[in-house]
Amino acid sequence: MSAGETWRLRPGQTLQYRGWDEEYVLYNDLSGDTHLLGDAAIEVLLTLNKGPASRQALAAMLETQFELDTLEADAETAALLQHLQRLYLVESAAC
Amino acid sequence: MLTVASLGRAELERRLGGPGLDLRTGAFVSRIRSRIPQVAENISLLYADNPLQEEGGFADFHVRLRPSRGLRRWYRPQVEFDVDKLVPFEPLPLSNAFPMLEWALNWCISTRAHAYLMIHAAVIEKNGLAAILPAPPGSGKSTLCAALVHRGWRLLSDELALLRPADGLLLPVARPVSLKNRSIEVVREFVPGAVLSRPVSDTAKGTVAHLKAPAASVARMHEPALPAWVVFPKYAADAPTTLEPIARARAFMRVAENAFNYSHLGAAGFLALSGAIARCASYDFRYSDLDEAIAVFDALERPPT
Repeated sequence: MSAGETWRLRPGQTLQYRGWDEEYVLYNDLSGDTHLLGDAAIEVLLTLNKGPASRQALAAMLETQFELDTLEADAETAALLQHLQRLYLVESAAC
Repeated sequence: MLTVASLGRAELERRLGGPGLDLRTGAFVSRIRSRIPQVAENISLLYADNPLQEEGGFADFHVRLRPSRGLRRWYRPQVEFDVDKLVPFEPLPLSNAFPMLEWALNWCISTRAHAYLMIHAAVIEKNGLAAILPAPPGSGKSTLCAALVHRGWRLLSDELALLRPADGLLLPVARPVSLKNRSIEVVREFVPGAVLSRPVSDTAKGTVAHLKAPAASVARMHEPALPAWVVFPKYAADAPTTLEPIARARAFMRVAENAFNYSHLGAAGFLALSGAIARCASYDFRYSDLDEAIAVFDALERPPT
């Protein structure tokens, strides 16, 4: 997964979610599942809802929002994208 | 209003054995047909206050219980039920006829009433606010529910929370409370004058008896209630009474796991459940003493809106 790789929401996801106390439940329009997600995952999804973004840009967003250092933000972003990809919520724009 | 009690036993048996008894239990009318004596006996005992629809009206479910045919009936009599001419389950011993009727009615609702989000849970109400008690078998849900509805809470259901997506209200299903094994004696002792069916000992769930719903709850079977609490009960012998808050998102996931048709409803189920969870306070509740348990429920505070 390269830092410049572009990511986007999977077409068809409308991001119906509710959040309480930094935990969120999100309805997956494609699988019909409901996922329990943390606030960083929701921030990534909301960012991608505005349009495709590179992993680098997403890491920079998390670094600012959650006061992470650069290495932490990069590792967190990579892990989150993998997780959200497995859930069919996001995909690499190259797919 | 025509009720089972006002119908009289002879007419009850005529309808059960002929055109069917159109029994109203809240949102549903079930047309029941059976010539098995213990079915008539227990409907007469446990549904005495339930209204009946006049013959020939619309019924949501058409259920028939009858002795199985074949040679086996001479040495090991069995009962089978069909609903709309489908036979979804294997026959059971004839002694299980009334429990089978109750399971059949649960099955009819839980497989067909998709206008509602259906949660495997008891629902009770007081002062217009309802507590949803989702729990797997063995958690003490029905025992707790039976005690609460004889100490000032209204019974909406012992088994099925029906959440209406359009307005987020819970609808009653006014039917008996199903008790198993030791809880039968516990409730008999706790509720003086409790009307219970004769226990049936050879069921797949052990010994089963049914407790008649309070008449006041049956009389309000058309009155929905607003969900205010989700309480996951757990009976543990000699455990102190504890009530621990649960984060809403986690409560959501646990309630969804206890729903019969959450996936079936798709996004509508998500919206209905998230609306309910948003207005409810959610708790894990452990208890061993029913008086203490009731005191905790009576002290539940109305969640902030």
